[in-house]
Parts: sequence; structure tokens; C-alpha cells
Amino acid sequence: MKCDEAKELITALVDQELRDPERNALEVHLTECANCRSALENEQALKQAIRRAGQGILAPDRLRDRILSNPSIFPEKGGSASSWWDYILPTAPMLRAALAIVFLLALVLPMFYFFRPAGEPIAFAALQTYDLFLRGELPLHRVGNAKEIEVQLSGAVGGRFHPMGYDLSTMNLRPVAALVQEIQGRKILVAIYEGQGGSLFCYTFLGSEKDVPPNAAKFFDADKKMNLYAFSRDGMNGVFHREGEVICILVSAMPMKELLALAQAKAKPS
Amino acid sequence: MNLGTGVPINDHVAARWTKEEKDTFSREAIVHLDHLYRVARYLVKEPDEAHDLVQETYVRALGSHEQFTPGSNMKAWLSRILYNFFFDHYRQKKRWVLIDDNSKDEEYRSDYWEKVPAENRGPESHLLASELTTKITDALRRIPEEFRLPIVMVDIGDFSYEQAAEILSCPIGTVRSRLSRGRRLLHKHLKDYLGVKKD
Repeated sequence: MKCDEAKELITALVDQELRDPERNALEVHLTECANCRSALENEQALKQAIRRAGQGILAPDRLRDRILSNPSIFPEKGGSASSWWDYILPTAPMLRAALAIVFLLALVLPMFYFFRPAGEPIAFAALQTYDLFLRGELPLHRVGNAKEIEVQLSGAVGGRFHPMGYDLSTMNLRPVAALVQEIQGRKILVAIYEGQGGSLFCYTFLGSEKDVPPNAAKFFDADKKMNLYAFSRDGMNGVFHREGEVICILVSAMPMKELLALAQAKAKPS
Repeated sequence: MNLGTGVPINDHVAARWTKEEKDTFSREAIVHLDHLYRVARYLVKEPDEAHDLVQETYVRALGSHEQFTPGSNMKAWLSRILYNFFFDHYRQKKRWVLIDDNSKDEEYRSDYWEKVPAENRGPESHLLASELTTKITDALRRIPEEFRLPIVMVDIGDFSYEQAAEILSCPIGTVRSRLSRGRRLLHKHLKDYLGVKKD
């Protein structure tokens, strides 16, 4: 094989689109040709760089709002609230006020102690808590807005980590309550969403992929290079993902496909 | 998946659609907003044009939802609608100005392997990642559309050759050859910024 012939094959190899006969021929050539080996490495590096460049481009909020408020696309405006962080970080005076709220509201935040058999995954406890909620048996402290929830939950763990701040207005869900759950000595921050789209619990806690429940289906997001794990029990669905040392589990009765798509859209690579 | 080059908005069909079905469809479609915007930004020059392109894609997708097969690849389907709309309404108006279409130059025809520096310049030649990202974005916008589109679909959209070929309405072999040539063009623009290697 000549180097000219190898060009397109190298491209296809980089994209994992090369079938066996051509692949074998190219591999033989690569063992003999240092230039083509370098070209392969360069093209792999270029592809990765292009991907990273693309991932840096996100739809602006202005466009998102425009689409969400277009009655031809969404019959009812879903709202345009940004991430919780946008509420909490705009100005220093607001931050000071928020910190004051921490001390006031943390006092009334319900702690929900959940005694589970040792070693049982937190994910299953999450499903059980959600089940209690669906049956109206979960004590809740309802709050007025996302900022309060964020402040309360972060305050409950001394700011060591923060609840995942998701804007779920596109799902017709808004944050309505906060809860801190303690399972086997670990504090779990629970943000509760309700609305026309049903209900959803967002669990945030410190952990690792060892917390993935057994038999969960694993999905790999090639764009974000991260794993998502889907699990179900008694008609309730959960999706687990990790951002650094922070674990997020979304639990809802909505179809798994929708929940998985939501988690995939919201998850941020570590 | 065959949408043709224009997707008509069918109000009668839309009217028969229940609100719940439409909501579900819209929610699933909105998940791909970032992807569609990314593609649009590489198709048209101005951000406002990209906004229009993406919004029109959603309007058309909702108007032709009956053409979508549940369980199939919605991202690819939406991308095809976006590309078709671009092709019909933007490309033919030549609103995208190619800054540097020199694909037929002698320089392009020469072998880029020969241009690989003799030694790895080392980490000092690397720019910060964010700067490289900007350089790559600029370089992508400078190469001819026929080479840029397969790169956008495969490298940024993460589509297979087959899916990219379907979206772009061209043979799979064309996707492969244009990708190869497109990456070489990009390499030419970026060789001073990428850490190139030679054994």
C-alpha cells in the first residue's frame, strides 16, 4: 500500500469505520511507515480537538427562551428560568441575603432518617422515598423558589457540596420542596420538583460509581464521555450519574426514555 | 428516513395530535437543542441566522412529526431537517461567505504528511485548550462547506458515516473522502497550534 492510498483509510480508522480487509491492509502499512503512523496520531488528536471545540458551543439562553415561548413548538410557555446558580450568584448583596437565609431556613429543614439494611444501595432508598412521596406519606417542607432550596440544602451540609441546580421548566416541572435524607451516615440532598409534567426527585450526595445499584443498565454518552445508569422498581425510574465526587440520581414515574434523555441533557462532564 | 428537501407544516395533522403527545415530542426534541445550535453555528455565519435556523427546525419538526418513527434517532432526524432548511433557504442565497476556499490549490494537493515538522515541538507549542478551541472553530469556518459539513456531522455531531450520509444526502464514500480531505485542510490551518508528531 502507498501512503496516498492510506490517507482515507486512516481517516476511517480514526472514526472506527474501517472494515476488516481494509483495516488489515492498513495495519500492515502502518507497521512499515512511520509517516503514516504519525499521521494517524495527528488525525486522532485533531478529531478529539474538534469534538472538544464543538462541546464548547451551547445554545444561548436567549435562543432557548425563544423556542420555549414559541406556541408552535410548546403550546404553553414553560418559563425561562436559568440554572439555580443564576439566581444565587448575580450580586454580592443577594449573596449576603442568601447566606442569612441559610441560617434561618436550615433550622426548619426537615431531616429524614432512613434506616436501610447495611450495604443496600442509596439508589433503592431513593426509589422508596419517592414512593412515600407519591403516597403522600413523606413529610415535606415546601418552599417558594429554587434559590431557597439551593440555600437550604447547601447549608445542611455546610457548603461541602451543592444540590444539582437543574432548570426543568421545559418539562413543566418546578422546584417546590427540599429534604435532607440521612442514609447509613451519609447526607443526601433531595430537591423535589412538581408540575404539570408530574413529579421528580433530584438526589445529590458525595459518592462514587460504587453507589450504582446492581443490575442498572449502563449508557455511555459519547459526547460528554460519561456513564449514565438507569434502574427501575415498581413503576418508578431512576437515572444515576456522577460529576466528580458528586452523585446525582433523578427519580420519577415518567417514562425511562424521557428521564434518561433529561439526565443526559443536564449532566455535565466531570 | 426520507424528508425530502422541504418539510411541509401540516396543520391538520398537528390538530389531531393530542397536547400530551405534542408535549412529549417537544420535550424529547428540545434535548437536542445544543447539538442543533452547534451544527447551525457551523453552517451559517451570523449567530442570529443560527437562531433562526434552529427555531425553524423545531417548527418544521413539530409540523411534520408524523414522519418521525418513534424509537428512531431523533437527533439525526432533526439534523436532517435543519440541513434541508439550510440548503433551501441559506445556502442558495450564498449568505455564508467562504473566506478561504483554496481546496484546489497546489498547496492543498500536496501531501500534508510532508508538512509535518521533523520534530515534536513539545508542550510549549501548545496553546491553552480554550484558545485552541477558538482556533479550531475559526479554522472550521474557513474551510469549504463541502468539507466542513461531514466534519461537523461526524466529529461534532458524533454521527456514523451512514447517518452523516443520510443527513447530507450523499454516498457514504463521499462522506469518507470529504472527511479525509477536510481534516487535512483543517490540519493545514492548525498545524502551528496542534502538537504534531513524527516518529
